[in-house]
Amino acid sequence: MRYVIIGNGVAGTTAAFTIRERERRAWITLISDESDYFISRTALMYAFMDRLERRDLEPVERKVWDRQNIECVRGRVTGIDSAGHKLTMRSGAVIPYDRLLIACGSLPNRPAWDGLAEVQDGLVNFVTLGDLDRCERLTKTGQKAVVVGGGLIGVELVECLRHHGMQVTFLVREPWYWPAALGKPEGLMISEHIRKHGVDVRMDESVKRVNVDSGGNVRGVLTDAGHEYACSLLGVAVGVHPAIEWLPDNGPRANRGVLVDTSFRTSLDTVWAAGDCAEIQFDDRPTVVEQIWYSAKRQGELAARSMLGDPIVYDPPVFYNSAKLFDIEYTTVGNFRIPDAAEFYGRIPGRDVSIRIAEYSGAVIGFNMLGSRWDHTWFERWIAERRSLEYVMEQLHLAQFDVEFGRQDLSEFRRQFAKWPRGAPAVVA
Amino acid sequence: MLSLALTVFYLVLYFTEALTPVSKALGLGSKWTLYGLLYTIAIVAGGVFVIRRYRHNRYQVVRTIVVMATQVVLAFSVPLILVFFHQPEYYFSYLWPLKLDYGTPGYLFHLPLVFVIYSIVGSMILVPLLAVFFGKRWYCSWICGCGGLANTAGEPFRHLSQKSTKAWRFEKVSIYSVLILCLLLTGLLFATYGTGNQNPGLAKFSYKFQSLYGFIVVAMLSGVIGVGAYPIGGTRVWCRYFCPMAALLGLTQKFGRFRITVKQNMCISCGLCSKYCEMGIDVRSYAQANTSFTRASCVGCGMCAEVCPRGVLRLENVMRPSPRERLIQIAPAPGIARPVSY
Repeated sequence: MRYVIIGNGVAGTTAAFTIRERERRAWITLISDESDYFISRTALMYAFMDRLERRDLEPVERKVWDRQNIECVRGRVTGIDSAGHKLTMRSGAVIPYDRLLIACGSLPNRPAWDGLAEVQDGLVNFVTLGDLDRCERLTKTGQKAVVVGGGLIGVELVECLRHHGMQVTFLVREPWYWPAALGKPEGLMISEHIRKHGVDVRMDESVKRVNVDSGGNVRGVLTDAGHEYACSLLGVAVGVHPAIEWLPDNGPRANRGVLVDTSFRTSLDTVWAAGDCAEIQFDDRPTVVEQIWYSAKRQGELAARSMLGDPIVYDPPVFYNSAKLFDIEYTTVGNFRIPDAAEFYGRIPGRDVSIRIAEYSGAVIGFNMLGSRWDHTWFERWIAERRSLEYVMEQLHLAQFDVEFGRQDLSEFRRQFAKWPRGAPAVVA
Repeated sequence: MLSLALTVFYLVLYFTEALTPVSKALGLGSKWTLYGLLYTIAIVAGGVFVIRRYRHNRYQVVRTIVVMATQVVLAFSVPLILVFFHQPEYYFSYLWPLKLDYGTPGYLFHLPLVFVIYSIVGSMILVPLLAVFFGKRWYCSWICGCGGLANTAGEPFRHLSQKSTKAWRFEKVSIYSVLILCLLLTGLLFATYGTGNQNPGLAKFSYKFQSLYGFIVVAMLSGVIGVGAYPIGGTRVWCRYFCPMAALLGLTQKFGRFRITVKQNMCISCGLCSKYCEMGIDVRSYAQANTSFTRASCVGCGMCAEVCPRGVLRLENVMRPSPRERLIQIAPAPGIARPVSY
């Protein structure tokens, strides 16, 4: 059996190893246009900050690919012939397959700003190895940078650029940092923290025009507030979308992403899709596109099992994620999108440590924890067990994951909780 | 270059008397006192740097303060004070088998009784007992001077440790070889002591064995290569490949309570943990596979947990079965992925 996987990211690689575990003799091919071997995209920032070498970005030792007999092909797929069961490459090569997995990931969103189309150099999205090369080159030659986008990749890029001593302006379109994930007090706390690291943070401000010199180099941006910021590096981190532009007309059906059912099968026979590029359809609810590392790993494994013939019915588990925003660690679990939910927010006075727990009809549904370490599996359990906010506040210490001697004292949160007017909107600290 | 300078320094220190006049001129007496002073300065200065760098991490702060205090008090001041009061120059922070003398009857039994008792209780009871409860780290990264230098002045070199499978294979053979040599030698010295003058052949052989061990293991491996190789093989070359004490503690640790707990499904495979492990342990492979683990070589410095951007790792002394383990045993719902190991 020939298994071919388009994309050597975490979804594709996890799928390859899952197949290999079960089928010792199958032919497995991983195709990538970006890198010879699987890299940890989430570690790009540490390579940029010189805390890792390029080679350290590869989580799998190179000899493992040979030992596991997984063929790594560098190149770009341009055509899918589903009737003939083969792929055509830009080089003209043809790769036959019996079962195909599309795990080609996401592409950065490209806003419709004046001047952006004329940019030849100076623009980075900080999601690929190519971006890393550009970042390293531009940091050597330039002094000023503008980073647009109040999400995780934006703040990572800002941290790296500050590490290299650049003057950074951080433009966030929203009134506080990352409103999609954080409440207002947390967002303000984070932006204050970023300012302390010497970053010029501008909220409620978005780009109108990119200034470009005759050579196509970025020279600065003009914002809707009428401010001009000079820069030689422009970081754009305004989200990603499934990479489906390359799909040929006779490829699988796609909407936002490649459409799949709950067993990751596309509209084409013997073609599956998983990870960032997949849009999952359900019988009873709207489609879902999951675009984080953990979901890609999960989907990659399940899609592989589906390809192997296991009866898979994917039901996305409770959402969780984690991050580090400069020095502030962040753990989130569950759902904060229910407008009628009661939310308890507590903060240790004078410190960048806060918790937010949402409850809906007597059961906790979401956790947003900043500044200390937590074991998300407890939160998942409490959500599954439909525990009350009171119960969770009492048991909260079980989920603490701080270093020894560094355990966060929870009594302040419990005091604030005792005084919390139930059901009232969260108080801004 | 730095490596060469350090190596030359150690060769001069061990095998010439060039430093003796320098030490005398400073009013310090023997060259070893000068060395002790330099060593202490390195640990204190490095310690201040480490505490500043990791000030947000209480484990690192507490641990580094203990390392600095141990060096200043037990490994530098106390021996000097003892000598001043015409007592033997005794280092409370070193124990057999790291310091062979303290398990050598010919040396040990000439000490006042209190030192004899401390040495025996320390090596035979304290070392294994604490290792069962807290792992190897109580000694290797909290008390020991070799580890102390590695984790303070050696901090900028920690990521240079060899990560290859070859290094790991070598480590397994080399560290237990030194341990066996050390145990053999100790047994031999006890036998010689017990038989007294009845067997001059045995006495001569154990004397030769002891001086060879002193030259190769103590001088060359722990001193010259141990510190000289900082810029090449990272800070724990001695501790990882050769130290008999580390070998013994490591075996105890395997059966004790210490472990590194891995948070389930939170690793992003960035590899910082493996990169900054001074013992060359591939921490990332455990984190990726969601496996909590205890490795004999782990000295419990806690740096993997510090550098992890997702807070996946935690050093723990677990009571078994811990509530956390019971939690993990809950079967995942159908359709949810189980961990894959690459």
